[in-house]
Amino acid sequence: MSKNTEKKHSFSLFKRLFGGKSKNEEKDVLMEEALQSPLRTIIKNFVANKLAMGGLIIFLVMFAIVLIGPVFYPITLSEKEETQTNIAPGMGMMKVPEGLAGNVREISVGSTFSVGVDNNGKVYVWGQPKISQKIDIAKDMPSQKEMGNVVAVSAGFDHAMALNDEGELFCWGSDRLGQVKIPGEVKRKKIVQIEAGYQMSYILTTGGEIFYWGNENLNDVRVTKKKGNGHIAKIAVCNNTLMALTENGEVVHMGSSGMDVDKIPEGLGKVTDIATTSNACAALSEDGTITVWGQATGDIRIAPEYEGNVVSMYGGRFHFTMLTDTGKVYAWGDNSKKQIEVPESLKDVERIYGGTYQNYALTKSGKLVSWGLKGYLMGTDDLGRDVFARLLNGGRMTMTIGAISVIISTVIGVIIGGISGFFGGWIDIVLQRITEIVSSLPFLPMAMILTSIIGNSLSENARIALIMVILGVLSWTSLARLVRAQVLAEREKEFVTAATAMGVKRSAIVFKHIIPNVISVIIVSATLDFASCMLTESSLSYLGFGVKLPRPTWGNMLNGCVNSVVIQNYWWRWVFPAIMLSICVICINMVGDGLRDAIDPKSNER
Amino acid sequence: MLKYIAKRLVYMVGVFFVVSVIMFVLFNNVPGDRALNQVQNMRGKVSNERFQEMYQQARDKLGLDDPIPVRYVKWMGNLLRGDLGYSTIYKKDVKEVIAEPLRNTILINIIATVLALAITIPLGIFCAVKKFSKFDNAVQVFTIVGYSVPIYIIALVFIYLFSVKLGIFPISGMNTPNFQGTGFAFLVDRLYYLGLPLLVMTVASLGGMTRYVRAAMIDALRMDYVRTARAKGLKEKVVIYSHAWRNALLSVITLIIGWFMSIFMGSIIVEQVFQINGIGLMYYKGLLGQDYDIALAIQMLYCVITLISNLVTDLSYGIVDPRVRINK
Repeated sequence: MSKNTEKKHSFSLFKRLFGGKSKNEEKDVLMEEALQSPLRTIIKNFVANKLAMGGLIIFLVMFAIVLIGPVFYPITLSEKEETQTNIAPGMGMMKVPEGLAGNVREISVGSTFSVGVDNNGKVYVWGQPKISQKIDIAKDMPSQKEMGNVVAVSAGFDHAMALNDEGELFCWGSDRLGQVKIPGEVKRKKIVQIEAGYQMSYILTTGGEIFYWGNENLNDVRVTKKKGNGHIAKIAVCNNTLMALTENGEVVHMGSSGMDVDKIPEGLGKVTDIATTSNACAALSEDGTITVWGQATGDIRIAPEYEGNVVSMYGGRFHFTMLTDTGKVYAWGDNSKKQIEVPESLKDVERIYGGTYQNYALTKSGKLVSWGLKGYLMGTDDLGRDVFARLLNGGRMTMTIGAISVIISTVIGVIIGGISGFFGGWIDIVLQRITEIVSSLPFLPMAMILTSIIGNSLSENARIALIMVILGVLSWTSLARLVRAQVLAEREKEFVTAATAMGVKRSAIVFKHIIPNVISVIIVSATLDFASCMLTESSLSYLGFGVKLPRPTWGNMLNGCVNSVVIQNYWWRWVFPAIMLSICVICINMVGDGLRDAIDPKSNER
Repeated sequence: MLKYIAKRLVYMVGVFFVVSVIMFVLFNNVPGDRALNQVQNMRGKVSNERFQEMYQQARDKLGLDDPIPVRYVKWMGNLLRGDLGYSTIYKKDVKEVIAEPLRNTILINIIATVLALAITIPLGIFCAVKKFSKFDNAVQVFTIVGYSVPIYIIALVFIYLFSVKLGIFPISGMNTPNFQGTGFAFLVDRLYYLGLPLLVMTVASLGGMTRYVRAAMIDALRMDYVRTARAKGLKEKVVIYSHAWRNALLSVITLIIGWFMSIFMGSIIVEQVFQINGIGLMYYKGLLGQDYDIALAIQMLYCVITLISNLVTDLSYGIVDPRVRINK
């Protein structure tokens, strides 16, 4: 029996916490008369309001996410990655098609897509092959019938190449800069290696000769006899240039001398293999040492210690991956997209393929393992920045600014309203006039003018602090009026007379006796003000007068989204920040409304 | 009543001067040398001495070497005589530049307010009469959404729906480029371009206004005279529209005035999004382009609008409710 009532009790507690009215239980006559403190009545009323409660829960969840999220998804303010711009949301960058998975001949990773060919010569494209509105690597690909038995593929920035067993070359994708227009002289050559680069195509013939076509303004490549053309064994593509390995084991740079990779270290000895990232080159010497040079970010210069002999090396955008004959894979370099986190369980690897931010390893048992960048949950923006990470960081900024400016405005409002209401007389008149002057300053234009005049000469952090102060200083007036009116009503009550009679200081009467009695009004006003401060901050940032790019807030993430191209094609750039900001403000307003109803049930009837 | 109005007017003028001092001091602390900006393009074309001379002339003309109080009095004198300064962006007097945008802004604000009222008054009355019905509760939730979502997000969604997907309205602008028609054709073209911004402004003000009308109507319906009217056996329609609504209307009017003034300020964003040639956009461009004469003039205009709206609201309260008048 007692067990049963206990169960009933805990159930009703659950119900009470998450809304829903409990049935009218028969109560003891005396129980019904039991007193309830005002605070408990408020909480009970509030909890019974499903809408407000739901708003509170959603808001708290969002608050927790934007507070904790940036720890896991930090952003670099100066981040700019031209290969990853305007990518649609999706996590399928490493989703290898079924037909290819157990049957790989070669895989090549491009900017946002990958191209693979299976042992039957069938070509597959996966990832985000839609480069722009018109160019889609998967759709533009020549039919399988046309290509026949493909033996090698290569994926570049916005185009791809394939070579079949008859030595015929195919290029498709963006042809804006001539990167897919195969020159006539190439068609008669026997090709051994194809490389699709950054808007540029390169091939290596059996005769050790290099041919290239595409955007030659950006890719400053000059292949000359002097540099060893005619005796090239392997080529490797950097961002805007080309590295080559000659037959006698010498590394040659084919671009202009200004590039970072041009400074080839002395004493490499006989080099057996080379690999390149976007702006660095790694060479494997005969004695097994790996030397890295060029513009290197992170720990890319220091190759890890390894066992056995290196079988193959691949360079991604900012990292290297290599395979040794013990079947073990090593990766080093930048880890911003988890591209060097080789799975622990990986062993007995037969072949590896790597590119931009993705890596694929084929084990001896025929299993294809991949690691690296899967994709972007909410896509990327015009500078290739992850929208999701910016949303989290921007949310934290928006909420912080909103919260601090509300605290400022509440403190000012309570102090001025309290003093003005309690002391009356000339103090009241002066404070009232000040309140009216501040409230007659037009809010948004005033905030714009203050941030643009004062804020221009400030550092980024001081500017953010300034925005908080401006929002706080401009929005305290309505609360001050409210508190004044409440204090005027409260100060005539008996407990104030009692406190005065007992000799309590006047300031103590105001802030210790009267203010606690009007605290409910203050809380409601602060909640609603929080929403309006967040809105004002995001409006300011949206207009470019608040927090400035590249530091994200929900407002300035929408800045630059008002044009038909972005609205239509890159919807993820505006939909997600808009939804987050709207939901957050709606929830806060619901909580504020619910609180007001809970504190003053009469207001509900209005 | 006259005494009350006079008191309010004197007080308003006082506030105006205080605000203008604040504004003037703010704008005079702008980093950058306005005299140098004016003669900048002559640098290198004339000899160095001549340039210094021109620079000094410009400084004298702008009165940059005078102490701030002197400059304030000069500026205020010019302002009161209607000289608003010189725009460096448009290379014209501010007074000439500002006339057309002001007309445009007033036009779109009036149309948007009228449209919003046409929707919110019937809706608010209906919700008040059927208070706590399912329909009312749904509208209440929608009004929270309405006043929570910032106007530029509404604009983005509407551009997506009506311009990009359905292709009904153009995305931005005031007229078809190089539009030659006059008279009626011009007006139609103008309205076609302003259709979407007006829709956005109307929708954005629905939430708040519906709540006001509903609250005012509920207050009126609770009055004793409504009970009396019902007790007399009058038709419900007569009770609602003649007895309750006429009384609610008085407080709604005061709200409408305040509302109309506040969307003046809110139209900065709409004008920026849709590139409407109004004073909001002009203010925005002035601040961005460091054309501070124009920004200051429009800022003062905003202040005047706010002050007038406060005055009109106070006065209309006084007319509606004589108790307010006696208190002051």
